[in-house]
Parts: sequence; structure tokens; C-alpha cells
Amino acid sequence: MLGATGLAARGQSGAEVPKRPLGRTGLQVSALGIGGYHLGSADSDADATQIVNEALDAGVNFFDNAWEYHKGLSEERLGRALKGKRDRAVVMTKVCTHGRDKNVAMRQLEESLTRLQTDRLDVWQIHEVIYENDPDLIFGPNGVAEALVQAKQQGKVRFVGFTGHKDPSIHLKMLSHNFPFDTVQMPLNCLDATFRSFETNVLPEVNRRGMAALGMKSLGGSGELVREGAVVVTMGLRYAMSLPVAVTISGIDSLDVLHQNLEVARDFQPLSAGQMQTVREAGRFDASDGHLELFKTTKKYDGDLGREMHGFPSAAELPI
Amino acid sequence: MAAIPLRQFGRHEVRISALGFGGHHLGDAPDEGAAIRLVRQAVDGGVTFFDNCWEYHRGKTEDWMGAGLQGVRDRVFLMTKVCTHGRDKALALRMLDESLRRLRTDHLDLWQIHGVSCENDPDLFIRKNGAAEALEQAKKEGKVRFVGFTGHKDPAIHLKMLATDFPFDSVQMPLNPFDSQFHSFEQQVLPELKRRGIAALGMKPICGHGDPVQKGVLTGEEALRYAMSLPVTTTITGIDKPEALQQALKVAQGFAPLQPSAMQALRDRCRQYAADGRFELYKLSLKFDNPEARLAHRFPLDMQQVEVKEMLRMSDNSGHPYPPVK
Repeated sequence: MLGATGLAARGQSGAEVPKRPLGRTGLQVSALGIGGYHLGSADSDADATQIVNEALDAGVNFFDNAWEYHKGLSEERLGRALKGKRDRAVVMTKVCTHGRDKNVAMRQLEESLTRLQTDRLDVWQIHEVIYENDPDLIFGPNGVAEALVQAKQQGKVRFVGFTGHKDPSIHLKMLSHNFPFDTVQMPLNCLDATFRSFETNVLPEVNRRGMAALGMKSLGGSGELVREGAVVVTMGLRYAMSLPVAVTISGIDSLDVLHQNLEVARDFQPLSAGQMQTVREAGRFDASDGHLELFKTTKKYDGDLGREMHGFPSAAELPI
Repeated sequence: MAAIPLRQFGRHEVRISALGFGGHHLGDAPDEGAAIRLVRQAVDGGVTFFDNCWEYHRGKTEDWMGAGLQGVRDRVFLMTKVCTHGRDKALALRMLDESLRRLRTDHLDLWQIHGVSCENDPDLFIRKNGAAEALEQAKKEGKVRFVGFTGHKDPAIHLKMLATDFPFDSVQMPLNPFDSQFHSFEQQVLPELKRRGIAALGMKPICGHGDPVQKGVLTGEEALRYAMSLPVTTTITGIDKPEALQQALKVAQGFAPLQPSAMQALRDRCRQYAADGRFELYKLSLKFDNPEARLAHRFPLDMQQVEVKEMLRMSDNSGHPYPPVK
């Protein structure tokens, strides 16, 4: 299936990254997405730009970000890289109120738009819904949920969602408010399948509601699954991309990593149900105490701003 | 001086003091002499329940408590814990012999599985060659009278341990006004223990290191009163200096439980802080998970943790050809 742009985008490795519908939004997004946090970890602005450009040329059109990543650097880098190419990308960023009110959210939105050099986001998500009382604060009077509605009305964002990496029960609590989220982001990998599982507990519910599921942490957040030998990169990524998700967001901080992931994503063919089950079973023992999914079992992946707003020690004081 | 009330230990005709002496903090005493004095003063004050653990300060607290209890061993109910964290029976029995030697006794009144905090710990406990077999054997050999387990992570894991139907005599858990409304051991585990006739041992009455007291949410005395007013056999509190002991004794001697309305008032005051678990870091972070648990389960170590520093110090070159003779 090659359109005119598809032909032009073909690199030396051939096929494009396939597109999938983003829930009921009418948008088509690439099965592999570029994670915004790691764009800020790339060695230089030039590297970040090249990652974005090569990804676009390979058919990747989904770009993740967050207001708080690297104090704005991740958004700035993505904005610069997409200059003149904004219409080829589906740009998502996240709002980081962590319990604070609508006004904080609207201010952050303006900053995100400026940094991303755009007048409209495709998707705006509530970032890091990981504390038990977050749903109460989000849907409380003057909470950030009201900001999502207002931003949509003002045409500053097209679609809205939320994200979190901690506990399926918190995601389900968010969904129970019946707010019309368009997207829901969650960690999905072959160990999650058998441990405090988003795949089992949240993914079916998100799909039942017609929302787009966005997967992340396919290799554990920082490659823990690979480093500790639970799975090889290609199989880990293939597993995550074979789930019923719109896109798998992958942290890419170098061209080497991009090329490695594109190798899997180009002309992607999902694993069979039997192969999926084999991978799950192979990971069952490593999954069983959560030591490779540190975002669920420790404080390691919980950002400092959220910690501060919730009265927790900083990452320097309490790394894990 | 009013006595500390004694309470029945689960289904057994044994009575222990409603206040228990926490072993970990004993290792923070300035030296062995100070630790010995603390233990003696606690015994004289009516404390009969003494908590410890094989891995606290890499054995130092067992050693110091053993020294403190010399001559009064038969006046107390002595508990220590074994740190298999899923590993084998043989390791557990080796740890038991070390604990007995350090504590200068030939038997423990209570031996508990330490730090049950991973989802797969119950499966690893009750397997062939698992620590469950060590508990049975130690009981049979008369080295321990009673057995139990402890953990601070998740009520669901405690319930999974109980669902193994292993004949535990006691179960230890964090109990405080924050816990009462967040991943609550009080709500989910306490009633189940009562139903099974298992002695409930409360710990972390001020959340481990007293964070909510330092932040002014409640006083140490209020927190201890709350915990001791729950249907538990004893409340274990960390004692590292004479002032801490005196404060605990002041609450415990002649203790009368709080009225339900006073309990509720404390819960209400703590509600907003309980909602995200900020004072219960033992449930949400690895802060309170010691290196033995982390190593056994392959979690990252915390290089600032006292036990980790002790472990590293063991590999220092002392310049002497033999280790010090004790």
C-alpha cells in the first residue's frame, strides 16, 4: 500500500511503518511512535532533528512529548525538528498539573504550543496519573479535566487523553468517571502481561470504549527487560506492537536505536496468538516480583514535579 | 508506676506486653553499652516483647539485644526474623543458628519470615525446600516456639500468605491512621487474623521514621495510642534512645484504648495525607526494603542504606591477618 508520499519516503530498508486508526478520532497513526523524553536525552539538537526527520521519512508520524520533559527541551527540540513539516505529524504532549487546577493547565498549554511551534496539538494528555488520589483531583472542581474540555472548545487541541505507569486500578478509576477521553496511554510489554497487568485489566476496557490505546515502556522504561535477559529487543518490541494498540511509543535517543526499532516496525506483521502466549510464558518468572517493571514497584520513574505536588521526597532523596 | 497491659498471643495461652521493643532502631544507639541500658530499662518498665531480625544492621542489633537480655532472657518473649526472601530452607536454618548465637539463647519465642513484600513471595515460601519447611523443622527441634511472617508492602500479599493455610501463630504489619484508609492492612488483614486466631503484631505506628510527626500532622503519642487501640497483641515501636523509650512507656503504662470516636477523629485528620500514600513510603517505594530482599529479588540496591554500607565495610582490608575474635 504505497501512496505518493510513501514511495518518496521509502528508505534503503524498503517498506514503511504501517498506520493504524487512532481510536475513533479519524486520525491514522504509525504503529511505532517516537517517545519525547528520550529526544531530550539525545546528544545534541542536531541528533534530535535527524531522529525526527528519519522517522518521518520511514512513515512514523506519531510524536510523544510532555510539558515537563527536560524542563521544556524535549518540546523545543521536537518543535524545531518539525518546522515546515508539522502537517506530516500527529503531535501529542502532556499537561503536568499533578493535582493542580485548570489555570495551571491552560498556562502550560500555551507554553507547550510555543515550544512546539504550533497553534494546535493533535493530542493533549494528562501526564503521570500515578497517585491514588489523582482521579479525584483531576475531576474535582476546577480540575484539569475542565481544562481539557476548554482547550478542545477553543480549538487548541483536537483530542485528549491521560497517561500513567503505576497501577491498572488507577487507570480504571480514571475511566470510571466516563469522561470522553480519546486516548489512554499505559505501559505494555511482555512482563506486564502477567504482573499487575495493564494488558489484562485496562487494554480491553479502553478498546471496549472505542478509545485509542497508546503503549509505552515496551522494554521496561530503560531497557531493563533486555539488560537482564528477559527478552531480546526485537521480540520485546514486536510483542508490544502486536497488542491491540494504536501506537507503541518507544524512547529513541540515538539514530542507532531508531534504526534498530525501524527494522522491527517497517512492514510490521503482528505475532500470532500462539507466539504471544509463548513470549508471555517465557517472561512469567521474571515478571513475578516486578523487579524489571520498576515503574510499577518503585519510585524510580516518578517525576520530581509530581512527587513535589504530592508531598513525596525528590528523586535525589528517594531514587527508588 | 502502672504496668503495661499484657495481651493474649493469638490462640495461645501466652501473654505479652501491649508495647513491643523494635529491634532495628536499637542499632542506632551510640554504642553497645547504651543499647544494653535501653533493653534493661524497657524490661524494668514492663516491656516483655522484643523484636529483632537477622539482617538488621548486619547482626549488630541481635548482638546488642542478646547482651542486654543476659540474665533476664526468661522474663521476655523474644522474636527475631529470618531473611530468606524466597530462598531455601537450608539458608533459613543457618540464619536461625546465627540469630540464636547472637541473641545468646537456645530458643526463640517467635521466629518470623521477614519482609514478605513481593507478589511471588508466598509461592516461594511454600514450595519444596522453601522456608516453610524451615519453620516446621525449627519448631520440631524446639529451637522456636511460634512462627509467623511480616511485611509492609501490600495487604493483598499478606492475604496470599494466609491463603497458603500454613499454621502461622502471628502476622506483623504496619498499622497507623494513614494505613487505615490507604491499601489498608487494618481493614483487609486484621479481621482475617482475628477470624483465624492468629496474633496480630502492629508496627510502624509513626510510619517508620516519624515523617507525619515531623510534619506536624499528629504527635508521636497520638500515633502510638491509635495503633495500640487496634485489636492487636502488641505494637512494636522503634527505640533508639532513652527519650523514645520514656515517651513510649508513658503511653503504654496503664494504657487505656481510645474511644472509637477519638480513633475516627485521628483518621479524619490524616485523611488528606493518606490519600496518596506520602507518609507510607514502605508501601510505594523500596525505601524500607533491605538489601537481602532486594538481592534475592534482583531489585537495585540503595548504597546509602545502613546495611549496604555494613556489607561493603565487610570487604574492607582491615590490615589484620584474621577477623577480630569476639
